Amino acid sequence: MSALVSTAPRTSALWLALSKNKLSWVGLGLLLLIVGTAVFAPWLAPYDPLQQNIAYRLEPPSPEFWLGTDSYGRDVLSRLIYGTRISLLVGFVAILIAMAIGSSLGVLAGYIGGLFDRVVMGLVDVLLSFPTLVLGLMIAAMLGASLENLIIAIAITEIAPFVRVARAPTIALKQRDFIEAGRALGYGPLRLMGVHIVPNMISDVVVLGSLWMASAIRTEASLSFIGLGVPPPTATWGSMIREGFENILDAWWLTVFPSLAILLTVLALNLLGDALRDAIDPKLRSE
Amino acid sequence: MQTTTPTLELRNLSTEFRIGGKWHAAIRDVSLSVDKNETLAIVGESGSGKSVTALSILRLMPQTGARHGGGEVLLEGQDVTKLSEKQMSRLRGNAMAMIFQEPMTSLNPTMGIGDQIAEAVRLHRKLSWSDARKIALDVLEEVKIPAAAKRFNDYPHQFSGGMRQRVMIAMALACKPKVLLADEPTTALDVTIQAQILTLLDDLKKAYGMSVIFITHNLGVVAQIADRVAVMYGGEVVELADVNELFAHPAHPYTEALLRVMPRVDTDAANLEPIPGSVPAITAKPAGCTFAPRCALREAICETQHPGLSTLPGGTQQVRCFVRARQAGGQA
Repeated sequence: MSALVSTAPRTSALWLALSKNKLSWVGLGLLLLIVGTAVFAPWLAPYDPLQQNIAYRLEPPSPEFWLGTDSYGRDVLSRLIYGTRISLLVGFVAILIAMAIGSSLGVLAGYIGGLFDRVVMGLVDVLLSFPTLVLGLMIAAMLGASLENLIIAIAITEIAPFVRVARAPTIALKQRDFIEAGRALGYGPLRLMGVHIVPNMISDVVVLGSLWMASAIRTEASLSFIGLGVPPPTATWGSMIREGFENILDAWWLTVFPSLAILLTVLALNLLGDALRDAIDPKLRSE
Repeated sequence: MQTTTPTLELRNLSTEFRIGGKWHAAIRDVSLSVDKNETLAIVGESGSGKSVTALSILRLMPQTGARHGGGEVLLEGQDVTKLSEKQMSRLRGNAMAMIFQEPMTSLNPTMGIGDQIAEAVRLHRKLSWSDARKIALDVLEEVKIPAAAKRFNDYPHQFSGGMRQRVMIAMALACKPKVLLADEPTTALDVTIQAQILTLLDDLKKAYGMSVIFITHNLGVVAQIADRVAVMYGGEVVELADVNELFAHPAHPYTEALLRVMPRVDTDAANLEPIPGSVPAITAKPAGCTFAPRCALREAICETQHPGLSTLPGGTQQVRCFVRARQAGGQA
């Protein structure tokens, strides 16, 4: 009886999986730290991230500048702290948009089926055939470099997996008795999809979201690195690495610290996403 | 026979399935009627078209692969087969409601049971959530959920099968339907719970003045709950009779055979006779009487001509059989 498995309360299974998986706590802790950094950036940053000071160009890490300064004499630590805001904002908003559009399309395709389903899935296959970065690059180049366009570009590149993940459970749920019972009560398709199908599959989509947010942050860094991200002088991790790249041989701190920040954020999101995925996977749960 | 308009009347209703590119009738020429305060049982084995009949009344057949093959469904004189899908969905759950076989999977696992009932009320009665919840609580008490107020926000997995079927009944009855279609509502329940649910349905029928169509393959259940019985075989009604008449004087050979395979406390269990053969496939219906290949009374005419429903003397029993109609002196 698969129905019995799926009706077990999700929250308790979630905590069980989180408490069993020690690494998930590392992920959660790291993520809270990163989010905290973004929220409290003005209080945490020792200097103004945009304040140039030619007298202190390319200073190595020291008690005065913990992570050194860049070629304009700006404090790397302060820029890193403010950069957290951009990275998280872009990752979070882009994923929210991709999630909303992707899962709506997936639910519609799965519910309506037929020609609509085939057209949507065909488009999804087209999107998936491009590597994320290449597609993001194309869209970002087309739209021009700005924060909003960067978010739009990343959102579009990550719609496809959400369509797939939303469509499959919709097709399964559509045939469940309670949907049939809903139709017998006079519920229209929108109500059946919104009230009765979506709540039964949304956890899958959220888990996927946490995993793909890591990818969104990576894409943001990559696009900023090649100059298609947020225009200077705003500090983002990707643009900091690019600027540091010119001096990589004599000022290692310019590239290493932003890279570490990206590494830790992606790691945190992946650890947490893995734990969430295990929590909702009945096969793993029963073991 | 009847002077007043029945609450629900089917006239020559047919529904067809598309199989291998051709349309085949899953039910054909089904004519039935149910009055206010009456329970009509539809009996038959698997594949006889009982559930298809119920789903066709509500027009819930899948939109691809099934179609209306003619005939009328009259709800208080109004033909619902001609309504638009939007008008139809206003009737579903409102004037006509349905209870399904599987209480374990017929409720949304992510929604509290009270809100699931209130949702239907809100939709059809255009009420606020708080008013709809009050009505939902009233119905839950009416279907005798113990401590209904306390369990209002519980989820389906916190209920047993019998309690879930009560919730399903509450959902169907929340808008006080005129017609209740019950598709084997007790099949998935054990016998004591089954008896409770049947009694409950009967009480509610009287309290609401509903017309009930009760689909089952269990003749014991029929004897307990039905006023009249329609026996279906191969997508057709083969016999229609009052419940006492049917058990006392079954006319159609299929009905007779069904009664012979029913274990009874007042006869010897060793006499159970299985019916040889099985229901013909929907794609391979015989040209003559559908039951002819399995029938002991088979004559030459049965294999070439399709019998119609003939009324037996007395006027209340109808049978689709050449032999029995002739024997009873009715017009074939």
